[in-house]
Amino acid sequence: MAVLSNPRLIGELEKYGAEHVVKCYHCGNCSATCPFSREPFLFPRKSMRYLQMGLEEKLKGNLEPWLCYYCGECSEQCPREAEPGETMMSMRRWLTAQYDFTGISRLFYQSWQLEVLALLLVAALTGLGFWLYGTTHGSLAIYDGPGAFLPASAVHVFDWAMAGLLAGLLAVNCARMWWFTLGREQGMRVPLGAYLRHLWLLPVHFLTQKRYRECERKRPWAIHLALMLSYLTMLVLIMFFLEDMQRGPGISWSVHVLGYLASLGLVATAVYALRGRLLRRETHYKYSHETDWIFLILLLYVALTGVAQHVLHRLGLPLEANLLYLAHLMGVVPMLVLEVPFSKWAHLAYRPLGMYFSCLQAEALRARAPAGAGQPVAHNV
Amino acid sequence: MSCRIGVYVCNCGTNIAKVVDCEEVARAVGALPNVAVVRSYKYNCSNPGQEMIVQDIRDLGLDRVVVAACSPRMHEPTFRRALSTAGLNPYFLEMANIREQCSWVHDDPRLATDKAIALTRAAVLRVALHEPLEKRYVDMNPSTLVLGGGIAGLTAALELAMAGQPVILVEREGQLGGNMARTDLTAPFLDSARDLLQDRISRVTGNPHVTVLLDSELMELQGFVGNFIARVAARGDDSPGAGRSYPVGSVVVCTGYQPFDAARIASFGYGRLPDVITSFDLEHMLKEGRVLTKAGRPPRYAAIIHCVGSRSETWHPYCSRVCCMTALKYGHEIRATNPDCFIYDLYIDMHAFGKGMEDFYRRSAELKTIFLLHEKNSVPEILPAEPGQDFGMRIQAKDLLCGELVEIPADLVVLMVGMEARRDAGRVAHVVNISQDKDGWFIESHPKLDPVATTTDGVFIAGTCSSPKDIPDSVAQARAAVARILAKISRGQIEVDAVFAEVDDGHCSGCRVCNELCPYAAIEYDEERRRSHVISALCKACGTCVAACPSGAIKGRHFTDAQICAQIEGVL
Repeated sequence: MAVLSNPRLIGELEKYGAEHVVKCYHCGNCSATCPFSREPFLFPRKSMRYLQMGLEEKLKGNLEPWLCYYCGECSEQCPREAEPGETMMSMRRWLTAQYDFTGISRLFYQSWQLEVLALLLVAALTGLGFWLYGTTHGSLAIYDGPGAFLPASAVHVFDWAMAGLLAGLLAVNCARMWWFTLGREQGMRVPLGAYLRHLWLLPVHFLTQKRYRECERKRPWAIHLALMLSYLTMLVLIMFFLEDMQRGPGISWSVHVLGYLASLGLVATAVYALRGRLLRRETHYKYSHETDWIFLILLLYVALTGVAQHVLHRLGLPLEANLLYLAHLMGVVPMLVLEVPFSKWAHLAYRPLGMYFSCLQAEALRARAPAGAGQPVAHNV
Repeated sequence: MSCRIGVYVCNCGTNIAKVVDCEEVARAVGALPNVAVVRSYKYNCSNPGQEMIVQDIRDLGLDRVVVAACSPRMHEPTFRRALSTAGLNPYFLEMANIREQCSWVHDDPRLATDKAIALTRAAVLRVALHEPLEKRYVDMNPSTLVLGGGIAGLTAALELAMAGQPVILVEREGQLGGNMARTDLTAPFLDSARDLLQDRISRVTGNPHVTVLLDSELMELQGFVGNFIARVAARGDDSPGAGRSYPVGSVVVCTGYQPFDAARIASFGYGRLPDVITSFDLEHMLKEGRVLTKAGRPPRYAAIIHCVGSRSETWHPYCSRVCCMTALKYGHEIRATNPDCFIYDLYIDMHAFGKGMEDFYRRSAELKTIFLLHEKNSVPEILPAEPGQDFGMRIQAKDLLCGELVEIPADLVVLMVGMEARRDAGRVAHVVNISQDKDGWFIESHPKLDPVATTTDGVFIAGTCSSPKDIPDSVAQARAAVARILAKISRGQIEVDAVFAEVDDGHCSGCRVCNELCPYAAIEYDEERRRSHVISALCKACGTCVAACPSGAIKGRHFTDAQICAQIEGVL
């Protein structure tokens, strides 16, 4: 069955950052260099080819971009400066937009102004909402306890409502990801048993990012893992221990020590990444899409305002603490609402899913290949 | 007869001496009559080796020299020069080949030495009968016939005319310019072909040294280097003796190529599908400034198929050299007239070999031309579009770089037709007495070291008549041919080797057996005197006529019966 070529695809991916893919002349150095690239997923060269040829449907069902952690080795070896690593990154952005059924993701990736506008709008709505709630239900001078401006109980309810909405959106997008990569094509169907047998991959990849560790340089993996674990810790603290977190002015070591560690992790990694992107010394920081900047700046802002409101509260400055808390929420809500389902944050779901689905794809390909034909297919996890 | 012969047995380092006992050879021939001196030496071709011979000629009064060494093809000129230096006629030299014919081909030293002795003895007996011969010279006519008015022919004519030499430029068509006149821009620097050509055409037509004969063909070429008679007639007029004769000294054949007929590959549907066109059809559109489909719409998708008729087991095995870069050029040109058009190139190998070409390829990729690599000998399939698609045709080809069968949208398909030898190349080859290879291209004297000369002295080839090539190469060849011709003209005379056949008028019966046998057409028959005679400048001294003459009237200079018999006697 022939695959139709869409010549507009290269131009479209250019907006997602794949500006250099046209230079590739398929020497294959990138795939030879990559420590992950093995049968049946010989990336990045083959993905680059799908893009060059405009094979949109092939690219849509392609999981290879999720297998890449962008160590930058391939880009350094490329004799044509075709930036295979950045191309894979761009394909991840494009795939995020393809998985998103609302079309919002596509708009954000193609226009950063629009994304900033949306962030500001959500921030304004959040600010207005919480201000009205706080001023009608409590006092700006009280941080916790009765009459608090933003009581933990109310924020907690809001958190859970928002989490439910985001999880729903993300789940739909993940289902679309499954449909493009495993569902729609007869040849990629695998029995339910296989889904269950490989399910363990999801938490393992999510929590350890062990494939990133296979890259030759270990530091990017460590940084990435620190950021992810800090984020996860903070998420658990907020979702389950918000009351303990906000209670004061004494320090509740059981939760706060974790909060401090997580805050430290978030600030340090965000600063490290921002510095890296500004200096552009490391290959994976050489090119920055607008969404990369927006994400990091938001992250730093949210972490710093979070820390500040906590400190002000402990210093006995409830008014200032409440204002900073409001500012914090005006960052955290737009960040989560817009980044998780529609932008860079979505990869927290797509990447482990990519690892999981690729294993199923490999199994389907193995089953399809006639016995004894071709090369042995390595377990690609 | 009495003479004083010096014999030099060369060891060639150990090349000869390791198998042949050179001392024994020297001893064996030393006893022969007339031998004044025999020496065995390490390297006779070295300067001291040559000086030894010169000194012996002077000191010992030698008048004949035998060098038993390598093939005469290797060092005969060297030793002939040594004889001249010593004041001896160079034809008093004979070489015995004891390297290629003895030491290099035999293992047994005994047998090899015996053979070396026999060959050297034969040389000694032969050289005694050598006669002094003098080189001869014929006049060089400075006029040149240039055949073909394309870029190569125009360049050759212009260069000769600028050197002040007369040129007869014969063009088959009604105007000058050849195939290049059919192209719009040139790759990879995108200069206008028209500009490049028009300048040359006006300088050629306005030049008093150049006689331009349009709609004309060369019917006959008689004579030999420096002294040809070319009969040129109006195209198609093949009545006997039609046209006018021009005396010329040299001929440059620049008859060019013809494009491959795309209709021969039926599956492309050229001539049947309205929007499948050839590269020359596209050039025509580009010159008009509009690239449109048959329906008059600008194409949104253009697919360019490379190697049509070239690099194929079915059609021509060779590469046509210019199509890859021309195809890239089309990408630029189509975009220039229609910026929104998407360009696909379907190729089997991208040949970007020349100056600026790799860069041109890279730039084309950066402008988002999509390059599909398909298998050699596979033919992309052109299918009609399906209902609802916004293009006219679909092209299916397997992309080797991802292994997928890819379907490409196309409103316009351009077939990059290759170059092939012209239909009338065989006739031209016959008239000017040059050869063609299996593909019909004219054969050069040596593909690397003598690429513009042919096996016929005075007849040169330049441009695409000898193989596909681009404009710079064609121009370089035309100039190279002109350099060769001007060198001959500047000497004024042509040296003719002293070794050739002679007809003894007294014995010739005028039977004309030799006339037809001569492979070089070097024997003429004089109707008035009823005798044949050899044109020494054309004779290559093959000896065919000498052997064939029933009257024994033809003598091969330097290969007389007596010399050959003496040599045979020496071997036996």
